[in-house]
Amino acid sequence: MHQPIRAFIEEQFLIEFGDDFPEDTDLFRAGVMDSFGYVRLCRFLEQTYQFKFAEEEMTSNILVSLTRMEQFVDHKVSRGRAASG
Amino acid sequence: MCGIAGFFQLPQHPGEHAATVRGMLSAIAHRGPDSTGYYVDDHCAFGTTRLSIIDINSGAQPLSDETGRYWICYNGEVYNYLELRAELEAKGRVFQTRSDTEVVLQAWIHWGEACLRKFNGGYAFAIYDRAAAELILVRDRFGKRPLFYTTGGPGFAFASEMKAFFALPDFHFEQDVDQVQSILAQWTPLPHQSGFRHIRNLPMGCWMRVTTGKVEERTYEALTLEPSSTVASEAGALDLIRERLADSVALRLRSDVEVGVYLSGGVDSAIVALLTCDRAKGRVRTFSVEFDDAKLDESKEQRLMAEYLGTQHLGVRVSHGDIATQFPAAIFHAEIPAFRSAFVPMYLLAESTRQAGIKVVLSGEGADEAFLGYDLYKETILRAEWNTAPEQVRRARLAQLYPHLGHYQPQDIAAITGLYHQFAEEKIPGLFSHELRLQNGRFSARLIRSQDDPFRAMREMVRATDGYAALTAVQKAQWLEYKTLLAGYLLSTQGERMTMAHGVENRCPFLDPAVVDAACAVNLRFDDGFTEKRLLRQAFRERLPEAIVNKRKFPYRAPDGAAFAAAPPDYLELLLSEAELSQIPYLDSRFARSLTKKVLANGASETSTKENQTFLFLLSLALLHRMFVKREGMPRRRVHSPVERVIDLRSGAAGYDSQGNFASVT
Repeated sequence: MHQPIRAFIEEQFLIEFGDDFPEDTDLFRAGVMDSFGYVRLCRFLEQTYQFKFAEEEMTSNILVSLTRMEQFVDHKVSRGRAASG
Repeated sequence: MCGIAGFFQLPQHPGEHAATVRGMLSAIAHRGPDSTGYYVDDHCAFGTTRLSIIDINSGAQPLSDETGRYWICYNGEVYNYLELRAELEAKGRVFQTRSDTEVVLQAWIHWGEACLRKFNGGYAFAIYDRAAAELILVRDRFGKRPLFYTTGGPGFAFASEMKAFFALPDFHFEQDVDQVQSILAQWTPLPHQSGFRHIRNLPMGCWMRVTTGKVEERTYEALTLEPSSTVASEAGALDLIRERLADSVALRLRSDVEVGVYLSGGVDSAIVALLTCDRAKGRVRTFSVEFDDAKLDESKEQRLMAEYLGTQHLGVRVSHGDIATQFPAAIFHAEIPAFRSAFVPMYLLAESTRQAGIKVVLSGEGADEAFLGYDLYKETILRAEWNTAPEQVRRARLAQLYPHLGHYQPQDIAAITGLYHQFAEEKIPGLFSHELRLQNGRFSARLIRSQDDPFRAMREMVRATDGYAALTAVQKAQWLEYKTLLAGYLLSTQGERMTMAHGVENRCPFLDPAVVDAACAVNLRFDDGFTEKRLLRQAFRERLPEAIVNKRKFPYRAPDGAAFAAAPPDYLELLLSEAELSQIPYLDSRFARSLTKKVLANGASETSTKENQTFLFLLSLALLHRMFVKREGMPRRRVHSPVERVIDLRSGAAGYDSQGNFASVT
């Protein structure tokens, strides 16, 4: 489920997650995330997992690390399933 | 406009001095193809390669005072030299020439350091005081003209361009890893940075005194963004802008040769061209860069403006292939790692300008810094109020900010909200305005295998600047733009170094201190800053075509990675070969190779700005390493500047080779 996110970040930002670069690394502080890259990442998540970000959700640092993104996507997808079920 | 170079107390036999200074001047002969002259004695040698613009016949250099105690080598122009000359003559000073060079020398002799604040222009010069055995070096207040110096060896040497140091005995270029990392992260060097170890750029607004065993650097003019007076009404503001700019252009038209104008297609250079035509006696000639790529090309507006003013216009069309072919030569002239390819078309434009017989051009640089033309200023205002502004205000501001950026779409509003939330509070002390840019710069800094903070030097610079902390967020943004992107790239790599590669001098009316002062007096007084340069446009609205005056800021750019992907030049081997990359020990070669492959494989639309920037940085670093550190692959183009004046005051001069010994004038 999460593999596409990891692959997208690794390809977009030319990094490899692992012991040297853990999944909970703050991508801004590590100098990996740039402004346009952030916007593209948002678009990618919306398209891949079929949801829309709400502006208010964006003020809780949900996209600063791979770990946070995965947690947020899980939450969004499960809420979407519950709503449709 | 010229090139200057020299040295003081170089540990070599005086018999070698003349050859060494000739070698230094020869390396920068492109800056002054009209003539070369130098002074040499047992301790000091310096000279000028001259581009004759004012007092063509009697303005030869080096030039001395009537006693022969003071000698000057001078690069650039002090535009208000006629007024200063009148002032000095009234005080009894006698002049031998009509040149501004002599005015600068006499002003220094008469007023000392206090003369520097009187100078309005773009210049760098060296004065040697034989009696005191001291060398004075000065650079203009905005960093229009370059002046590098090295204390790396046992002696002291300086030059308009670093390539002159090739001629110094036992001198070796070495890229400075800390500086390179800093340049990559900031986009441009800080005022003192050169990218090489033991070479320092004399910062703008500074002067220095070099005596035996001592080098002192001092500031004569700190950048101030506080206006000298207030403006009561918008009508008064518009009058002030018109008056100051007209005066500035008039001063910059002082020349004994024809002056042309670079037309970018934007409003700034259109205003410069308009005011030039107001003053010019004949038909003005204008010059522009055109691109095949419609996303980058502004030829429609350039031609519209040329037709509107009736100028004789030349558009120089630049292809992807031109950029790839000319990149090594252009970066050799730039000498500093570059984050864009946009300087290469300017190199070609200068070549065509010179071929058309023009030695001096006016251009619009400096308008965006003075009159808040960049999105950066709006971003800064918005980010500063982000946490307190109502949602509808934030949305309205974002819509004003990004209409021209094709890659941000309306549905991205949530993403941009998240981004701004990340950057709503200052994280790097003193650098709030630039934190989004610096974040993108961190990606480029990953080219360097270093764990150091790439912003350390920048933080220290603002911390050590008196009065900086008291500036508003927008003023801090302006201050940083003047000190980094403007001086470190727009005026140098994309400006002066490209025009001077072909012996063309560029002059910038928006960098007149009176114009900057006027801008400071009116900025954000009569609007919220979200219509960029509103007052400047308003001031000339009735005199410019609507399509020009209403044109939104269109950043001048050229094809970046795409230019090299389309037809990869041979020298890309520097990046693709592991053996080549490994010769640059500080590079993260794995990251460098991944980036190169990605940029060359992807199309222009798939390559992000940060990737393009990083690729251009990598390519320029590799080429600079090859040409400067390894001394290989330098451009073959050589310019000969005939030696016309030699002042040889060495104690054993009769026995030395000084090529046409001009003998003492004392």
